Amino acid sequence: MAAAIAESDANQWAFDLLQNVPGLPPITQAVHILGIAVVMASSVMIDLRILGLAVPSQNLTEMVQRLMPWTWIALAINLLTGLPFILARPYRYFLNPVFAWKIVFLVPAVVLAVVIYRRLGRTKAESSQCSDDQRPTTALKFVAAASLVLWIGVILAGRWIAYSDYLFWPE
Amino acid sequence: MALTTVWTWLEGTELAQHIGISYWFPLLESIHVLAIALVVGSILTVDLRLLGLSALHYPARKIISELTPWTWGAFALSLPTGFGMFMTRASHYAANPAFQIKLVMLVLAGINMAYFHRRSIRGIETWDTASSTPRAARVAGTLSLVLWTGVILAGRWTGHLN
Repeated sequence: MAAAIAESDANQWAFDLLQNVPGLPPITQAVHILGIAVVMASSVMIDLRILGLAVPSQNLTEMVQRLMPWTWIALAINLLTGLPFILARPYRYFLNPVFAWKIVFLVPAVVLAVVIYRRLGRTKAESSQCSDDQRPTTALKFVAAASLVLWIGVILAGRWIAYSDYLFWPE
Repeated sequence: MALTTVWTWLEGTELAQHIGISYWFPLLESIHVLAIALVVGSILTVDLRLLGLSALHYPARKIISELTPWTWGAFALSLPTGFGMFMTRASHYAANPAFQIKLVMLVLAGINMAYFHRRSIRGIETWDTASSTPRAARVAGTLSLVLWTGVILAGRWTGHLN
């Protein structure tokens, strides 16, 4: 995979782009961080709401319908803003165990967001008030807790990609 | 001039040197990213409510009161993690234009927030559940969006200047 990318036109294109356009790497990374902030405000807030830790006045069904689309948009933006770096330096990512962890956390995090969306986002929000019949089931709380841990894992691992030497090649 | 002495002393401390050469730097940095994502994410939600663009089902006061503790909690986490990174090369960061811009924008964002919470929030009862928000609230929301985006951008740029 890495070798195929390294020999492709996309590799040359992304490398030149990031190398030659002044300020493009920090700008792209800043947009990536803003995308993470949007995931925090949407999927992660929904997890915290399900767990009864945040925004108690918000109706869970309404919240999922209002916020989950933001998660999908942020994930699309973060794919776009992350991809040029992978295309430009494929070996830095594909040979990096920390990048593998990020993906291992990211895939189930996205799956769980879809699970929560399908479970709650498809039904009609009846009122903006939180009612007892909305009390999350234990199974849903388990899903939310797992989702929360996975998102935190994605974000921490993402930043550690650049520092994998600290973990795998100690002095 | 006195400040340069402080920076030199700070980066010479055992703690700063230890952070600088160990896994502590990336550890602090990754937690810093997590914290600022929550700071900006929670602020973004409040800003969009102030702009009258989202969450109009809920009283503005409810959105503000339920999210502000998360903003402050995350901000409290971003400060020591940020300072831990700063102290490793204090003179370098203090002279780094991106870092200077970040701090200025952070202060402006703080002033904007304080002004809103002290002045513009008066009379919120009259628009708390209304379908639109007053000009002062929209101005505060817009400024906040611009300034926090700038804080993130300048913060990320700091690491690219050597």
